Amino acid sequence: MAAHTAAAPHADYHSKLGNNRLGLWLFILSDSFLFIGLFVTRFYLLGGHRPELNQILGLIVTSVLLISSFFMNRAEVSIAHGDRKGFLNSTLITMLLGLTFLVGVVGVEWPLAGQHFGPDTGPEGAVFFMMTGMHAFHVLTGVLFLSIVYRNGRKGLYSAERHWAVEACTNYWHFVDVVWIFFYPALYLIGTVAAG
Amino acid sequence: MKKDEELLYGVIIFIVLAVLTGAEYWMAVATRLWAALSAIALLKASLVLQYYMHLSRVTSGDGGH
Repeated sequence: MAAHTAAAPHADYHSKLGNNRLGLWLFILSDSFLFIGLFVTRFYLLGGHRPELNQILGLIVTSVLLISSFFMNRAEVSIAHGDRKGFLNSTLITMLLGLTFLVGVVGVEWPLAGQHFGPDTGPEGAVFFMMTGMHAFHVLTGVLFLSIVYRNGRKGLYSAERHWAVEACTNYWHFVDVVWIFFYPALYLIGTVAAG
Repeated sequence: MKKDEELLYGVIIFIVLAVLTGAEYWMAVATRLWAALSAIALLKASLVLQYYMHLSRVTSGDGGH
């Protein structure tokens, strides 16, 4: 009887884990429809043209997000093996890279793009600012999520057996990366810059 | 899977993603093969979904580690 009660919370946690994962993926699926809509809008409104953007800066922010995904993966692997220090370090680096991405897009790219078009000057501006703005908002919420996970991690709330919040945060962060995998070529690479 | 093996997996996937991103950029500048760019984007997304997001865990129900 005592063994049964001791094992019950552990079994309960693992039975909930399946539901949690399904719920998270349903959320990701529903959120992805928003980005699919923006992606389709870009090709519907701009067709074979693309906004005039700084190519090098686009490659740099893309690389920053890619590297952040690598560290996010390290964070999850570390906590899954009980390495709390490795988890905290990798989470902190991911957060800093996320903030760097935000500075690159909102702080640098937006003013540069603003020299050619604005959010209200035509389809180019509307598409560019809506796509990057919505994505940046998700990066910001991802950084907030990471900061909560980091704080809880410092308190020792996660272990190798119980770290669902870390897994959820990791998947959310990678989802934001997947969105940028499609947005980057759509905004920076595919099509020709419209003359004038 | 051991921790070192999992970390190595992460490194390999990262390198593949970085190479694909470089190829994407080069293709856009040098060749303008838009269809190839779309294919690369799909491949990159598939790699992230499978190896970083562990999509298969949803149906398998395991701990994943």
